[in-house]
Amino acid sequence: MEFEGCNCFRQRLVLSTLSGKRVKIRNIRSKDDNPGLRDFEASFIRLLDKVTNGTRIEINQTGTVLFYQPGLLYGGSVEHECNVQRSIGYYLEALLMLAPFMKTPLRAVLKGVTNDPTDPSVSVLKRGMAPAGGGEVLFTCPVRRSMKPVHLTEPGKIKRIRGTAFSVRVSPQMANRIVDSARSILNKFIPDIYIYTDHMKGASSGKSPGFGLTLVAETVNGTFLGAEVVSTPQGQGDPVLPEDLGRNCAKLLLEEVYRGGCVDSTNQSLSLLYMTLGQQDVSKTLLGPLSPYTVEFLRHIRDFFQIMFKIEQQKPGEDEQKGGEKVLMTCVGAGYSNINKTIK
Amino acid sequence: MEKKEQKRHQHKHSGPKADKKNRKKEQGTEPERDERKRNPRAFSVQSAVRMAKTFHRTQDIKTKKHHIPLVDRTPLEPPPVVVVVMGPPKVGKSTLIRCLIKNYTRQKLSDICGPVTIVSGKKRRLTFIECNNDINSMIDLAKVADLVLMLIDASFGFEMETFEFLNICQVHGFPRVMGVLTHLDTFKNNKTLSKTKKRLKHRFWTEVYQGAKLFYLSGMVYGEYQTQEVKNLGRFISVMKFRPLVWRTSHPYVVADRMEDLTDPEDIRLNPKCDRTVSLYGYLRGTFLKNKCQVHIPGVGDFSVADVSFLPDPCPLPEVIKKRALNVKERLLYAPMAGVGGLVYDKDAVYIDMPSGHGSQQQEVRPTTELVQSLIGTQATLDAKMAASKVSLTCLMFSVLIVRKQNPMESREWDERAQRERRRAVFADEDDDDDDDDDGDGEQESDEEEDEEEDDEEDEDEEGVTTLKKHDKTAAETAAPPVKKQKCEVPMEMPAFADSDDELEKSEEDESEEDESEEEEENEENEEMEEGEPAKKSSGPDSGLCSEDDDEDEEEDSDTDEDGDGTVKSKMSSKHPEEENIDTDDAEMEVQNGHNLEDLAQKATEAYLRHQLAAPNLRKLVYGTVAEKEEDDSNDEEELGGLFKVNRPEKSKKVRADAMDCSRFQPDNSHDWDQEEVRSSIRDCFVTGKWEEDKDAATLLKEDEELYGDFEDLETGQVHKAKTGNKDQAEEAPQVKLDDDEVQKNKRLEKKRRLKERFDAQYDDGDATYFDDLKEEMQKQAELNRQEFEDVDDEIRVQYEGFRPGMYVRVEIPALPCEFVTNFDPHYPIILGGLGPSEGNVGYLQMRLKKHRWHNRILKTRDPLILSLGWRRFQTIPLYYIEDHNGRHRLLKYTPEHMHCGATIWGPITPQGTGFLAVQTVGGIKASFRIAATGVVLDLDKSVTIVKKLKLIGYPYKIFKNTSFIQGMFNTVLEVAKFEGASIRTVSGIKGQIKKALRTPPGAFRATFEDRLLMSDIVFLRSWYPASVPQLYNPVTSLLMPVGQKETWAGMRTLGQLKHDLGIRNKPNQDSLYKPVVRQVRHFNPLHIPKELQKALPFKNKPKQMQAKGKTPRDLQRPAVVREPHEKKVAALLDALSSVYAYKNKKARAEQHAKHKEFLKQKEKQEAERQKRMKEERKKTYRAMGQKEKKKLKSSLKGASKDN
Repeated sequence: MEFEGCNCFRQRLVLSTLSGKRVKIRNIRSKDDNPGLRDFEASFIRLLDKVTNGTRIEINQTGTVLFYQPGLLYGGSVEHECNVQRSIGYYLEALLMLAPFMKTPLRAVLKGVTNDPTDPSVSVLKRGMAPAGGGEVLFTCPVRRSMKPVHLTEPGKIKRIRGTAFSVRVSPQMANRIVDSARSILNKFIPDIYIYTDHMKGASSGKSPGFGLTLVAETVNGTFLGAEVVSTPQGQGDPVLPEDLGRNCAKLLLEEVYRGGCVDSTNQSLSLLYMTLGQQDVSKTLLGPLSPYTVEFLRHIRDFFQIMFKIEQQKPGEDEQKGGEKVLMTCVGAGYSNINKTIK
Repeated sequence: MEKKEQKRHQHKHSGPKADKKNRKKEQGTEPERDERKRNPRAFSVQSAVRMAKTFHRTQDIKTKKHHIPLVDRTPLEPPPVVVVVMGPPKVGKSTLIRCLIKNYTRQKLSDICGPVTIVSGKKRRLTFIECNNDINSMIDLAKVADLVLMLIDASFGFEMETFEFLNICQVHGFPRVMGVLTHLDTFKNNKTLSKTKKRLKHRFWTEVYQGAKLFYLSGMVYGEYQTQEVKNLGRFISVMKFRPLVWRTSHPYVVADRMEDLTDPEDIRLNPKCDRTVSLYGYLRGTFLKNKCQVHIPGVGDFSVADVSFLPDPCPLPEVIKKRALNVKERLLYAPMAGVGGLVYDKDAVYIDMPSGHGSQQQEVRPTTELVQSLIGTQATLDAKMAASKVSLTCLMFSVLIVRKQNPMESREWDERAQRERRRAVFADEDDDDDDDDDGDGEQESDEEEDEEEDDEEDEDEEGVTTLKKHDKTAAETAAPPVKKQKCEVPMEMPAFADSDDELEKSEEDESEEDESEEEEENEENEEMEEGEPAKKSSGPDSGLCSEDDDEDEEEDSDTDEDGDGTVKSKMSSKHPEEENIDTDDAEMEVQNGHNLEDLAQKATEAYLRHQLAAPNLRKLVYGTVAEKEEDDSNDEEELGGLFKVNRPEKSKKVRADAMDCSRFQPDNSHDWDQEEVRSSIRDCFVTGKWEEDKDAATLLKEDEELYGDFEDLETGQVHKAKTGNKDQAEEAPQVKLDDDEVQKNKRLEKKRRLKERFDAQYDDGDATYFDDLKEEMQKQAELNRQEFEDVDDEIRVQYEGFRPGMYVRVEIPALPCEFVTNFDPHYPIILGGLGPSEGNVGYLQMRLKKHRWHNRILKTRDPLILSLGWRRFQTIPLYYIEDHNGRHRLLKYTPEHMHCGATIWGPITPQGTGFLAVQTVGGIKASFRIAATGVVLDLDKSVTIVKKLKLIGYPYKIFKNTSFIQGMFNTVLEVAKFEGASIRTVSGIKGQIKKALRTPPGAFRATFEDRLLMSDIVFLRSWYPASVPQLYNPVTSLLMPVGQKETWAGMRTLGQLKHDLGIRNKPNQDSLYKPVVRQVRHFNPLHIPKELQKALPFKNKPKQMQAKGKTPRDLQRPAVVREPHEKKVAALLDALSSVYAYKNKKARAEQHAKHKEFLKQKEKQEAERQKRMKEERKKTYRAMGQKEKKKLKSSLKGASKDN
């Protein structure tokens, strides 16, 4: 299969690995001043190479054309120094998609930037802010032979909100200020809020200063909606006040609640992937409005697995006040089974 | 012998005895009934251990019966059951199929060639396939068979093929097997017949399972089996149940019953060996088939499907299920390869067969026949063929649309071709007419051509005209009327042609055909659309939008977006205006529908529209419209991004290719959460908000009170009555009486359900096991699977689900080798086996393998072997290994005789747990039992883990106590460095370690040992060397072989075969030859004892000085005697005398000996006589004694009796 441009780079490589189809990507930033693959993408390819066996990668001189022939997912113990241009979340999102289909359970130690404004954060062993990084994450995942069909159609009502306000290499007071401002908004909806403050010191605080807030709303039916905001990296852009940050984050969470669904907007694609790779049964998931990333992902799923989702819009009722429109995604799984796992 | 009739016992009916008994009976019934109570000791616990054991055993047996519950994925209308009739040649396979077909359909089929599909019952269809005596066909058919009829010649007994086939079946999931014994009429003797039957039955049972069905066909009547017996067999087949097999439920497959070459004749003319595009037809089985998937055709290779489309069922089940049996019209038969359904395949031509006997019937029953007929002209050009097929297809489609509200895919294919013309002609009636006329003309022409050609052929073949061909000719002649009829229908079809790429518009047009005024309106609408007026009316049925329309829509969207920037609405909600448009359009449609509601086609449209409304723009947003997708497909998918282009808003278009790869979804214009109304919009998402009616705590409480409200307080005597909601409702009742009843009913139902749930939870679910839960879950899933897409139109459904099993599909495959077409033989099965994701790749497979116990040779590593794995048959080079206790995979030179071993091959990636079998050749029969090995795939990898034992040998060249310098093991210092610290050993068992490399000679090193070495010792280092598996993957292309030579495929030869064929004798290594062992005699030095020690020794141990005997002294030497002549004479005389004496003596002794022998003989004789005499005498005396005794006994008895 052939693609153009570096958009959805991860999706393409991950789906190619899962489906076993080789991929050729042309014109990667060919019109750019700095053409070719960036360092973080190269680092991502290296990570893929580490968790697979028999992968063939060919990149041309300028890095504008990539040929990727996937091998078998191997797993095992992996240690990877992630590039600091993107946070570990960038790499981890892809690993999350691959991890259940490995030969041996994955135990990955990723080192690099744990929190930055573009990618999802991760809970950590050591925190490391952009731009210098220095954080560390341990990710383990067991392997499965096949996935069960997913049925997530009832998000339920939110019963509690939890969160973590973190600060590294700045005053520990920052976290408290964030918490106060966030609570000021959220308290109007629900009283059960608890936001931890997490101030890391010394070796576990990484190399750059920064702070941020992660909020998670948990519903009665056990679904989670998350939101997070991280301060801008040191020396890039305007500095942020912790109060503003807390308020923004709380509003983001409310936005997420408004969108609703059983999965929050960043993880839509993951849940859709697991639906696709299930057995040949009908899976259903209720999502909020599809993010552009998810839309791209759906198209890629169709290209790689020939699976189309039935997309039904659910409008909120007249008197209900449950936020915006929801989307009910339905599909029949591809009947995928983990061909990497050994049987004895 | 005879028994005396005895008087029976008379029970007393009255009197004290009877009373007593009655009393006892009355009392005794109770305890007697319960054994445990009556005899408690017998049931008491004797041994706790034994009790535990029995309990465990019963539990074990119980759990063994469980199978892992699977989701039931059988389709509602299952594909025909594949019945493979298998047996050695001349056993009666074709006869049996013919008889069965006659039994089911009352039709006679002369030549069984290719699969034959029939309707056998109200819910079942059968596809009969004859398996010829070729291991390739046997393997392929075992993979697709649902039922195997295994024919056995009883007069001969079992043949090897039967067992081979059974073993093949066993490996690829055991289908149902039914044995059929034929040739039973050859037995003259009844006893031998029954004996043979029994013998064969028991052998069959050991192979299949105890009690497997074996059917007896006793004899032939007029070349057919007896009707009653065939009928019975048919009944068995039609009630048989089948179990799902893992491989087949997870892979789609098609047993092709029709093949067509679609290649451009011009290309073939230019290059007869060019790759062909072929379409294959057949029922889809197994699981969902996706478009553009990879398939494997066993015997040909891997191909990617260019296009899949579903056709109307050529052999449909009866639509209305009645109680009675099928009528004649419903007993359909479809066998295009055998010439039924319109075609007869000949070597160089295809004849159209139309039996004139019941022509009127056929027209009614199968329009598909016409379809088939028109689709295939022998040597008509492809275009003509296509055109012809299209016309008939659309005609067919039209009828189908009316009847079934579904559209065959073929229509789409036609659209692709005629799309451009169509676009031009959309709005004008005349153009349409013209088009149609043209088409019709073309068709007519082509038909005429066909006729002519056929005539020509007839002329050419004049000499060899057979009756069959005559029949064909007449058939062809009779075939003419229906064609004409088609032509008559053309004006009716017009609207179907006047049609764009979308199904919806098509149906719209259908309406328009019926209502002219409406049509005009629509035309006006369309014109408006063309002019690019505000799309308020135009965007109507959204799915039908072509790309321009989409663009318009998008522009409109963006416009509204821009307009509504300040508003709070998100991007999604900005779509609303368009939906409203649709709504209005829908209303319009409904108005139109009001005109002629009866029209079914319109209803179909309506249903379709409704569906489209349910899934409006999101689908389009994500996937683009269906039409566009097709366009893309036809554009050879070089621009996959292309379909995104159309729908994407302008701004994202710019950054599309190189956008930031981030999963975050930042809101464009987020809500202002400080405002109260915005905040209240998500109020209900929290537990603090309002709950739904059925989950609200207040209502739940109320309902509970209704259920359990009635109770009496015993202490106070107060009676609480439940407040029924009826009162409240009763007040409202006058307003909506009808509704009220409904509500009441629902409420009661709800109440009941709740009560039942509660009851279940209390009593039933208590002992519900995990297994039960799992089963229930599966059941639910199966139900959901069935329901989810039930009411969706097939055209759309196929896109979501893929083509579901049971559909009759047409699969187009490009780039097939030309031999597939030129050497096509319908007697060999063509199977399209779908491959899962990444099953088209090649890698290393680790498998568990065992040599088949009936194969008479063990297998050698690196000898090529033909494997049947998954759908595939391929030749590969396996390496055998065995797993050591530490997990090391050690290479074996040969497979073990009676044990499993591992094997690694380079082959197609196949899921673990898939079984395989191996044969050494597929051409000819060389081995007595061809299946060499069987096994299962364990693991897939891209690297190999097999190692081979390697011994490095070195020799000491200098020895210092326990340290030695060793040379000859390595060649360089570097090599030594690699092995520093490795343990080494001498042949005599002295262990040691490599220490360090020496500078000279290169490769020598210093090593230490636990003991001092000798210069004659050999030092060796045990190590493991990774073995590499040769990357040979050679699919068996038996279907590409010329007709008649299909079973002669030969791949790579083994080394042994090569040497044999080329006459090369192996020159063995001289060192490896066995020679007689010649041991050198060892000489030992004499024992030397020091003088001092000698002195100290006791005499006993002192070495005896055995000095050599010296020369005898002269005085001791005896002088020689020289005799005088007289003395000589005396001596000679004495000599003579003594010899005479000796002779005499000897003679006397011999005589004496003979005499003695004689004497002994006589003595023996006498003795024997004496013995005889003695015996007789003894006998006499004993007899006398016995008589005496008898007499005595008699007398005593007499005396005794007298005494009594």
